[in-house]
Amino acid sequence: MNVDRLTATFAALADPTRRAILARLASGDASVTELAQPFEMSMPAISKHLKVLERAGLIVRGRQAQWRPCRLEAEPLEAASDWLEQYSRFWTESFDRLDDYLKAVKKKETKHDRNPARK
Amino acid sequence: MTATLPASSAPNVVDEKEIVITRVFDAPRELVFQMWTEAEHLAQWWGPRVFTNPVCECDARVGGAWYIVMRSPDGKDYPCGGTYLEVTPPERLLFKNDAVDADGKVIIDGLTEVRFAEHGAGQTLLTLTTRAAALNEQMALAIAGMHAGWSQSLDKLAEMFTSH
Repeated sequence: MNVDRLTATFAALADPTRRAILARLASGDASVTELAQPFEMSMPAISKHLKVLERAGLIVRGRQAQWRPCRLEAEPLEAASDWLEQYSRFWTESFDRLDDYLKAVKKKETKHDRNPARK
Repeated sequence: MTATLPASSAPNVVDEKEIVITRVFDAPRELVFQMWTEAEHLAQWWGPRVFTNPVCECDARVGGAWYIVMRSPDGKDYPCGGTYLEVTPPERLLFKNDAVDADGKVIIDGLTEVRFAEHGAGQTLLTLTTRAAALNEQMALAIAGMHAGWSQSLDKLAEMFTSH
């Protein structure tokens, strides 16, 4: 996992406008004008958001066409969701340990039960 | 069986997810519940393998707090803690579980429900539902650091096996 990349991804995702832009792009490529439409925002403001998204690798912009369509790049989003996988792993590893520990505790209890001197 | 946890009201949520994990333990639920609610036991199993818990406090009463400092094999500390919202022995626990950074700032806002159900002869079916919200990009760093700790400990384990 590339930490710098992940940090950039989360920083880019922290803004609701940028999340809305990504959501719009999930349904297909769009021009800057099309992306600006639903938001009451100036073109420079939208352009700034697009730059952040582009730097984070979340979108790519076409070079050939004059209107430079924006396209969603899914890979960094997948890497970002990986933190959840790590979190799940935290619990499964804890449960493995709890399982082992319970066995040890039960063994100790049985030993005590069989030893009448302790009763 | 699965409880729907209330959505987070915390601001600046970057990403919020819910995980449900079930596991059968070969022990009666009174005993399993005890492992969750007494500090001396909790410290023995909480966290990834080969992490230790040098600090473990647990006041398992409604409104009571728990606080654990997990230490990775390379000596990095990962504090976490929260308060209990519901404690019903030996059936259910509902508690906040937050991960904090070195300055005590919450970076993961979590809410966890644990259900303990009787399951056949002396076994317990445990269902854990945890809703975690990452509050900012620092969380990514914390998780990545934890991941590095795991990888390192697995490497050590592999080394141990090959040297024998």
